[in-house]
Amino acid sequence: MALVALVFLAPVILMLLTSFKTSGEVLNPSTIIPHPWSLAGYAKVLKYSEESPMGLWLLNSLLVSTSVTFLVLLFSSMSAFAIARLRVKGAGKIITLIVVSMMIPGQLFLIPVYLILNWLRWLDTPLALIVPATAGGFGVFMLTQFMKSIPPSLEEAAVIDGCGLWRIYWEICLPLVAPAMATLGIFTFIGSWNDFLGPLVYMDSVRSYTLPVGIALYQSSYVSEYSLTLAASALGTAPLIVVFIILQKQIVASMATSGLKD
Amino acid sequence: MRSFGSQRFTSYLFLAPYGLSFLVFIVAPILVALSLAFTQLDLTSRVPSHLVGLDNFSEALHDPYFGQAAVATLRFTILIVPSLIVLAFGLAIGLQAMSFGRNAVRGLIFLPGMFNVVVASLIWRWFYDGEFGLFNFLLKKVGLPHAPWLSDKSWAMPSIVAMSLWWGLGGATIILFAALQQVPTHLYEAAMLDGATSRGLFANITLPQVRPVLLFVVVTSTIGGFQLFGQSFILTSGGPERSTTGLVMLIYDTAFHKYRLGYASAISWLLFAMIAAFVLLQFFGLRRSVD
Repeated sequence: MALVALVFLAPVILMLLTSFKTSGEVLNPSTIIPHPWSLAGYAKVLKYSEESPMGLWLLNSLLVSTSVTFLVLLFSSMSAFAIARLRVKGAGKIITLIVVSMMIPGQLFLIPVYLILNWLRWLDTPLALIVPATAGGFGVFMLTQFMKSIPPSLEEAAVIDGCGLWRIYWEICLPLVAPAMATLGIFTFIGSWNDFLGPLVYMDSVRSYTLPVGIALYQSSYVSEYSLTLAASALGTAPLIVVFIILQKQIVASMATSGLKD
Repeated sequence: MRSFGSQRFTSYLFLAPYGLSFLVFIVAPILVALSLAFTQLDLTSRVPSHLVGLDNFSEALHDPYFGQAAVATLRFTILIVPSLIVLAFGLAIGLQAMSFGRNAVRGLIFLPGMFNVVVASLIWRWFYDGEFGLFNFLLKKVGLPHAPWLSDKSWAMPSIVAMSLWWGLGGATIILFAALQQVPTHLYEAAMLDGATSRGLFANITLPQVRPVLLFVVVTSTIGGFQLFGQSFILTSGGPERSTTGLVMLIYDTAFHKYRLGYASAISWLLFAMIAAFVLLQFFGLRRSVD
C-alpha cells in the first residue's frame, strides 16, 4: 500500500520539482532533481503583467471562496434553524423541494443563470460567482438533519430565561452543530476554489478571472513552457495543500461519512 | 398572542436569505431553462427569439456533433465507472489490511482529489506530451516506441480516463473504506467458525454489507462521469477529431461560442435525461440484487 500511495504522490512531487527547473531543463525528463535549482518560472509567473495578473487571480479566488463559504454557512444554518427548530409551516415540503433540486446537474443552470446574471448586470463581477453559489441545497439539508438531533429541552430552558430567537440560534444552536458547520465549510471552500465552468462562463475580462480560469487560459499561450505552467499550478495549489495538511483528519472523516448517511 | 405572531414572522426571516437565493438561482433558472429549450434564441441572429416547439430537440437528434458528443460522454462514463469502483474497492480493502500508517496512506491517496481540475490536467498534459513528456521518455528508455497519448483518436479518451482515475480515486476509496470499517466483525467471526473461505466471506458478508454505500459511489461517479469537461478542455481541447468532446463541452461551445442559447438548453435537458435514466437503472439494478 505504501507503493500505491507513492503512485498518487509522485505526480505532485514531480510537479513541484519540475517547477524549479530552468525552461531548458524541463524538456529533459531524465533528470528528476532540478540542476540548477531555478526560480525563473515562479518569477515569471508572479511578475505582474496585463495578460496574466497571477496575484490578482489569486486574490479573486480567495475573495470568492471565503465569501461563498461565509454566506453558505450563514444562510444554510439560518434556514436549517427555521426548518428544524422553529418548524415553520410546510417544513417537510421545503426540504423535499431542496433535495429534489439537488438532483439536477449543474450544467442545466449554466445558461439560465447566465441570463439572470446578465439581467442583474452582475456578469464579470465577483457577485456572479458568490451569490448563485449560496443557492445550493446541500448545506440546508445537512444542517437540518444535524439540528433535528438537538434535544428541545435546551431551547425550552433558554426561552424560559427570556432568550430571543436570534440568541437561541446564535448561542445555543450553532455551537452544538459546530462540527457539521466545519465539514460544510471545508466542502464549500474546496468546491468554490476548484470551480472552473462557472468563472469560465461568467467572467469576461482577464482582471476578473479566478485562479483556475486564469491558469487554464494562460497555459494555452505557453503550450510547452512547462516550467511556467507548473509553477503557476504549484502556486494555485499551495493554499489548498496547506488547508489539507492542517485539516486532513477532518476532511477525510467528513468525506467518509458523506456516503454513509441517508 | 402578539409575541407568538412576531415569533412566526421572525422564523420566516430566518428562511428569507436562503429562500430568496433559492428562488432566484434555482427555481427561476429551471423555468428559464425549460422555456429556452422550446425557444430559438440566437444572440448573433437578427431573428428575435421565438417559440419553436420541439425543433431544438429534433435538431439535436439529427446533429452529428450531438451524436459524437453523446458517444464520447458514454464512452468516458463506461470506461471510468467500473475501473474506479474496482480499484477503489481494492484500495479500500488494502487499507483495511494495513496494520500501521493507514491514515498517512489514506491521506496521500486523497491528495490529488484536492487539486483543481485545471492543475490536475496540466500535470498530466506534461506527462503525456509527445516529445518532452515523462511517459514517452520512460517508454523510450525500455526500448518501446512513442505512444500517441493524446494525439490519436483511440488513445485520447483512455488517457483522460487514466488521469481522471488518479484524480478521483481518493474520494471513492475513503468512502468505501469507511463502509468496510462499519461491517461488524462478529459477522466474520461467526462465518469463520462455520468454516467459510475468504472468497465466501467477501461474497456473503462484505459485499451485501457495503452494498448501499457501493450504490452511492456508483451513482455519484456516474453523475460525475457524465459531466466530463475540464479534463478535455485542458488535455485535448476536445480533440482529436472531437473524440473527447463530451456533452458539457458541446453545451458550453454551443451556448458561449456560437451563442445558440435555446439549442444549448435543449441539449442540457437531453443530458439531464441521460443521467436520470442511467441513475434510475443502476438504482433499481443494484437494489434488486440485494433482495
